[in-house]
Amino acid sequence: MQKVLRKRVFRNLRKHFVRYFMLGIMIAMGIFLVVTIVGSGETLSRGTVKLADETNLEDGEFEVFVPLNDSEIEHIKDMGISIEEQFYFDYQMADEDMGTLRIFKVRDNINTIHCISGKLPSDKNDIVIEKRYAQEHDIKLGDSFEIAGENYNISGIGVVSDYDGPFKEISDTSCNSKTFGLVFFTKEAYEDFKASGNAQKSEDYTYAYKLGNDKEDLDLKHYLRDSKIDASLVDDKFFKEYWERTGGVADELKDAIVKLRDATEDVRDGLKELSDNNDDINRSTSKLLDSYLEETSEALNKYGIKVSLTEDNFDKELERIIDENDNGIMRMSLSNTKYQLDNLKEYKDGIRSYTDGVDKLYDGTDDMAYGVQRLDVEVDEALDEFDFGLSNLTSFLKRSDNPRIFATKNDKIVDIEVGIIAGVIIFILLAYVISVFVVHSIEKESSIIGTLYSMGVTRNDLLLHYISLPVAVTFIAGLAGLLIASTGIMAPMIAESSYQYFSIPEFSFSIPNYLFIYSLVCPPLMAVIVNVLVIRTKLNRTALSLIRNEVKQGNNKKIKLGKMDFVKAFRIRQMVREMRSTVAVVLGMFLALLIFMIAVNCYSLCNNIAIDYANDTKFEYMYTLKYPEKEAPKDAEAAYAYTCKKNTMGFNFDVTILGIDDDNRFFDVEPGNSRTDVVVSNAFAEKFGIKKGEEFVVTDDEKEMKYAFLVKDIAQYSAGFYIFMDIDEMRDMMGETGDYYNVLFSDKKLDIEPGRLYSTTSREDVVKGTTVFTDLMMPMIYTLSIASAVIFCVVMYLMMKVMIDRSAQNISLIKVFGYRRKEIRKLYLDGNFYVIAIGALIVLPLSKIIMNSMFPFMISNVTCGLNVYVPKLFFVIVYAVIIVLYLIINKILVKRLDKYTPAEILKNRE
Amino acid sequence: MDMYVEVKDLKKSYGEGGSFVQVLKGVTVGVERGEMCVIQGTSGSGKSTLLNCIGGLDDIDSGSCKVDGLEISGLKKDALSDYRRDTLGFIFQFYNLVPNLTVRENIEVCRYLTKDPLDMDELLETLGLKEHADKFPSQLSGGQQQRTAIARALIKNPKLLLCDEPTGALDSKTSKDILILLEKINKKYGTTMLIVTHNNSIKDMVHRVIYIKDGEIGKHYTNENRIPAEELEDL
Repeated sequence: MQKVLRKRVFRNLRKHFVRYFMLGIMIAMGIFLVVTIVGSGETLSRGTVKLADETNLEDGEFEVFVPLNDSEIEHIKDMGISIEEQFYFDYQMADEDMGTLRIFKVRDNINTIHCISGKLPSDKNDIVIEKRYAQEHDIKLGDSFEIAGENYNISGIGVVSDYDGPFKEISDTSCNSKTFGLVFFTKEAYEDFKASGNAQKSEDYTYAYKLGNDKEDLDLKHYLRDSKIDASLVDDKFFKEYWERTGGVADELKDAIVKLRDATEDVRDGLKELSDNNDDINRSTSKLLDSYLEETSEALNKYGIKVSLTEDNFDKELERIIDENDNGIMRMSLSNTKYQLDNLKEYKDGIRSYTDGVDKLYDGTDDMAYGVQRLDVEVDEALDEFDFGLSNLTSFLKRSDNPRIFATKNDKIVDIEVGIIAGVIIFILLAYVISVFVVHSIEKESSIIGTLYSMGVTRNDLLLHYISLPVAVTFIAGLAGLLIASTGIMAPMIAESSYQYFSIPEFSFSIPNYLFIYSLVCPPLMAVIVNVLVIRTKLNRTALSLIRNEVKQGNNKKIKLGKMDFVKAFRIRQMVREMRSTVAVVLGMFLALLIFMIAVNCYSLCNNIAIDYANDTKFEYMYTLKYPEKEAPKDAEAAYAYTCKKNTMGFNFDVTILGIDDDNRFFDVEPGNSRTDVVVSNAFAEKFGIKKGEEFVVTDDEKEMKYAFLVKDIAQYSAGFYIFMDIDEMRDMMGETGDYYNVLFSDKKLDIEPGRLYSTTSREDVVKGTTVFTDLMMPMIYTLSIASAVIFCVVMYLMMKVMIDRSAQNISLIKVFGYRRKEIRKLYLDGNFYVIAIGALIVLPLSKIIMNSMFPFMISNVTCGLNVYVPKLFFVIVYAVIIVLYLIINKILVKRLDKYTPAEILKNRE
Repeated sequence: MDMYVEVKDLKKSYGEGGSFVQVLKGVTVGVERGEMCVIQGTSGSGKSTLLNCIGGLDDIDSGSCKVDGLEISGLKKDALSDYRRDTLGFIFQFYNLVPNLTVRENIEVCRYLTKDPLDMDELLETLGLKEHADKFPSQLSGGQQQRTAIARALIKNPKLLLCDEPTGALDSKTSKDILILLEKINKKYGTTMLIVTHNNSIKDMVHRVIYIKDGEIGKHYTNENRIPAEELEDL
């Protein structure tokens, strides 16, 4: 049976060649696009991963104030972690257009150089130059290249995996290889350069590390953080000046306490000495008083006055004797003696009081000395506790946090996800289109199927027969699409922008295994599933019902059109009859628009970034300071920036807490005076899906802490993920001094010594950098736009053609009645205009809304907000294009109406 | 004699080489205005081909075919459309109703083509379709469907009604009803009718009978003693 039926398969293919050809073209094109876009993304992605393996890419890197000493290196080795120096100098070329060169020595083990052409330097005059910089400045192998007055020979042009994205600073939003590149010297040449003093900035001591022995990044980080150095070892005047103001204060405090302790001890010792003499002084004064009393007693006894004067009674006794004596001279003499004795007694008491005071002072000073000693100990403990010691570690960057590493791979995630989603959308559409074809075929052949059915042909035989053609067509089309894609014909175009941006070698286009399955299995599998479902449903009818081709009028019956205008009524009936095709047209339009909206969102995102960044960046210069001066320049706005992390959709992003003053003229933000209620940038709110009044948490990897905030407002600022708060509150929160700042914003260039700076960002850099995103995305935007237009046209053509074919009998019939082509078009085609017009009106905004909700997932790795706004005019234009495309297809299909002659009606019986 | 349809030496063939068939081999025949005429013949004799050529549904190889003085052969597509639109009504054996249109809407398909149609309600009444006006073809019996097809053909009040086996798919009782109807229409509207049929009894009720045999006119006569359709037997 199958053998006989198979003959019909080829005949059907011949008969409906255009239909299957178009379907095949669409599948092939879909597969071609998916394989090209995804394959290209995977090629770059896997290529960079492979390159990373080959060049022994670091697990991370860290920077230190002073190079590690031997014992530290040994300790790290013992931890099972290997490290390698990746020291460098940044050299500003004499010709400003040549930008800055980062000079490294050739690496031995980690992050080794991959030469694209030439070889590693063998002579000290040889250098390897980074590929993108060489491209931008037209530097060729063998060229002579001058750096700091020395001529070097370009022995190789290469790339390193740790600068896959050649960002000058890790905080940069885009790479600019015109103004920044890498160059690799021999070790000898590097040392010569260092010794020459030509470097304008101090050497940067960066090490790359590879983990081992189950050690984690944090183990190394903790070890390095705990390694303290003597600040005086750091050979950087800006550091020294800064350290004296900040970290050096702790030493001063400690010195002062030591001085206080010493002085207190000196005072105590002196007082002790005084105290020790107190008894002698008291004894002497008592003796003096006693001798005078004794002398006075003896003199009175000589005058016959028996009396023994003591310290306690002399006052009363002398008073009594004076009163009893009539001799005036005697009385005067006794009064004089009494006065002298009173004075002596007073003197003696005074001395006693003094010595008692000295004793007390001594006792107090002793307590004080003990207290100072304790203060000294406590301060030591406090300084230890608050880690006022100088850690050698200045920065620690894990591979996953380094935007330079796997920059290409991360960029291609979008392409891969977009490609796969676009492919799925195309497959859904094709599944529906195929179902329309199948239903059409089965309905048309209803009586044949019924006859075969009645003669004992099984449903499985028929099923096999009817699925064979769509399965074969979809398989062949998938294979064709795969084969064309495998030639890599369009891959260079897709990858070109990446090669022009990232510092990577050119990889030969390869297709991952899953795309083979995707291309060869998915289309026929989809055809099988759709056909089996549709055919089984259709074949559930009885043989007689099939023979009679009983038409179900279910939907039509429900529609009462009354005495509606004939043409309108006819169109409505036709539309209801062709509901499946109508739905396919609208669905096709919707899915094509969905694919188009991927392109639109990519474009609008890039475009809006460019516009928003330009509008929101109100400063001309932003200086990120390594060692800020004590006071900020008067014509600049000082701010305090602190980087934390926030995770969304599996990706960890840097977010900046920015402390600013209320009157900062470069940010239209009122930060208020709360540590918890903050203002966030709209880019932050969009990316992390946070609304006003909601709480969120950011992570501080440096301090291993988390900060929780509440959004009190969202400010228009798109150029980064920012959390704005009052600078004083932030200083307080972060434990910084009341005048601390580390960022300066200015509307003019400031005279800041380069040694104080981490980086300088100009408004021009920011604005220029944004155009890069558009350039990177354009190939995909073009591809998706064209693909969506083709899909839209093909689906509309196929479905409208199916509608006409299904109405062939009726078209012939009304031709018999005398209908003209224009009238037939009016009845059978023009009704579609309303379907398209109304359908587009609904699906155009709907596709945008749906894509807007899907888009964040598609660009989950991209560091920017989600402003995918497009002006209303855009929708008007797209709507107009849809109508124009429809009219063109309509025009083409009108000719098809001529195919059905009145005589058809005499051949076919419905 | 007012010849409404004049066919002279009409030849029509199909295919080429080995599959070449000369269906009409120089047919000459005429039908007067207002006549009911039956074309009879065996299967493959060329009767339907003759009807199609007169209806402008098929080209002719040579000869002449005039309807109301208009030469059909050589007319361009648009002119042929106008001819069919202004002059003809068609009734087919298998009704050829548009399945997704109701009875009323099927009739309106042809009503739309003329500025001066017959009254729809009156026609529905005449054809006994009034209560079925809002039904779809699949909800009708064969006779009702054929009556709908007749109503559709008549709505634009055609001068010439071409009927290809109008009772071929119907039972005897329904066939008689249809023929009575056609006769009634002929009388009421004076419509010239050309009816292709295998049914031998029909010849008795019509004005003219044309026999075709192997692509040529075998017998051609006018019926002097017509039997009303009502009295026909063995339908």
